[in-house]
Amino acid sequence: MLLKYVLRRLSIGLVQLLGLTISVFFLIRLLPADPVSRLVGMNASKEAYAQAQAQLGLDRPVLTQLSIYLGFQPDVSPGLLQGSLGVSWVTGSQVTAEIASYLPVTLELVTLSFLFAFAVAVPVGMLSALRPGGRADKGVFLYSLFAGSQPEFWWGLLFVYVFFFKLGIAPAPLGRLSPMTTPPPPMTGFILIDTLLAGQPKKFFEAAHHLMLPVLNLTFVLSGPIIKMVRQNMLRALQSDFVLYANSIGLPRKVVARYALRAAMAPSMTLIGILYGFMLSGAVLVETVFSLGGIGQYAVRSVLAFDYPAIQGVVLIITAISLVVYLLLDLIHAAIDPRIAY
Amino acid sequence: MSALPDIDALPALPPKRADWLFRIGLVIVITVTILAAIGPYIGPYDPMLTTVRVAQPPPSLVEIPGLLTSWFAGTLPYPPHFMGTDVSGYDIFSRVIAAPRTDLVIALTANFLSLAVGVFLGLIAGYFRNVATELLMRVSDVMQSFPVFISAMVLVTLAGRSTSNIVIALAFVYIPIYIRLTRAEVLSQKSRGFVEAARAMGNSEIAIALRHVLPNSLTPALIQSSVTIGFAILLTAGLSFVGAGVRPPTPEWGLMISTGANTIILGEWWPSVFPGIAISLTVFGFAVLGNALERRYEDG
Repeated sequence: MLLKYVLRRLSIGLVQLLGLTISVFFLIRLLPADPVSRLVGMNASKEAYAQAQAQLGLDRPVLTQLSIYLGFQPDVSPGLLQGSLGVSWVTGSQVTAEIASYLPVTLELVTLSFLFAFAVAVPVGMLSALRPGGRADKGVFLYSLFAGSQPEFWWGLLFVYVFFFKLGIAPAPLGRLSPMTTPPPPMTGFILIDTLLAGQPKKFFEAAHHLMLPVLNLTFVLSGPIIKMVRQNMLRALQSDFVLYANSIGLPRKVVARYALRAAMAPSMTLIGILYGFMLSGAVLVETVFSLGGIGQYAVRSVLAFDYPAIQGVVLIITAISLVVYLLLDLIHAAIDPRIAY
Repeated sequence: MSALPDIDALPALPPKRADWLFRIGLVIVITVTILAAIGPYIGPYDPMLTTVRVAQPPPSLVEIPGLLTSWFAGTLPYPPHFMGTDVSGYDIFSRVIAAPRTDLVIALTANFLSLAVGVFLGLIAGYFRNVATELLMRVSDVMQSFPVFISAMVLVTLAGRSTSNIVIALAFVYIPIYIRLTRAEVLSQKSRGFVEAARAMGNSEIAIALRHVLPNSLTPALIQSSVTIGFAILLTAGLSFVGAGVRPPTPEWGLMISTGANTIILGEWWPSVFPGIAISLTVFGFAVLGNALERRYEDG
């Protein structure tokens, strides 16, 4: 049953991705932008323009371009079916390779921030749900409303000003390592793991030091919605019949709280998934502030340079990851909540 | 409508004592709205013109009363720069209060557009269920799975960085939310008694949908509006911050923060801090308002 469910979800996801790919493909070509003149410059001669156009394959009919992109004409150039996202118009290298080097930066940043936000949100949300309407609850509510509605890039700059310029306890916001350090050989792309694999604990701590502020920054904005959600689900769980029953047979408060927490976590998974998917591209501003060089910054660069294959690749990959995360979290949800069966 | 009391239309509970938080939100939203109307004209400087004083820090708080009195007495050589000036010499205070004209107008228009289109499509998708509306929902699913920031950035950059294109891009990314919200509400409303009654009285389906179901299905979308306006302000500012938003020197909070971002690590905090406080408070104000409306709706 489970396998069948996963297969069904995956195939729906594939159809969705195909729809997305095709709509993005047409959308960016419908918009009144001229990537060719962007590339060769305004003063290029007609011949140079035509040559660049042919080189990018933009002289072909749009439908032919689409079929090449999807990989139905591997003799012209490899496409999606062959596992290729095309070649970047600006750098000339494979989009898949470029994304593979930028993506781990973002995944590392976002995942760490989620873990921290969760570690803060669960106890805080629980405490405020245990005494709804109390002073602590009101304070927590105010905080979560505030943190959830903030311009994160501005807070990033504030953190840089306070922790780097004023206090001097954070490194300059210039990347994942200080510019003088040679990065470890990329194996996973996650700098914390790579430094350890290379057996360079000093660089590990340096990388962690550089990640400190960006992670704090994202944790702050993420904690708002997550606390709110944990509180709400916990409140609902505490009012449910099984908690009443557990209390009535005299189970210790701690045990009851643990049961309730488990029941409260299950429905939280969906929102976590949506937030995670949102953050993959939403982290772009934090990446920019700290010049981390993540997938979001890659997207910005590609969009500003009208690099169509790169734009399509980024949108496709981010959406695909979001869909996989949704599926995984739904499976975790089912594993925690015995009432759900597939 | 009949004279019989409708159980759905019982008077709502008396409005709760508006708490102080709600009042703060209201004050913020009203202030920003007023600034959107008159902000560009009331500052001491023209927000679009530079002065000769570059990167001048703001006066300290204790100096301000003195500055104000001598300003009104006319003994100052030039009006004070309450929030300092940035690297190009723009007066930050005049620009911070002029920016709602850009930020709020973009956010309100985009929200209104997506609200109108989304509610309309959501009504159709919920009330008439057929192949076409199923297709609409699938398209809306695909649209909703776009990464929001990137799609807004793509739309604005490729269509040209103008205010109207930003509005359209934001509206585009928010439409699916309104479709979904309205459709869900329409689905729950259309099996209610008043629809049956309207049908029994011989109303056409379109009339029922527009005149009876629509007004009763608006609330969730309207509550969402407050939240969407706040997020639209954040998105507008974020787009400017990465260089895909309004063009300089338009007074816009995100653009101002981005101008100051280069100098903040050198200790010049004022060019980004003041516009940031403005965004922070504004979006918080809309969030508070949205939350209060939501709770009032849930309590009945």
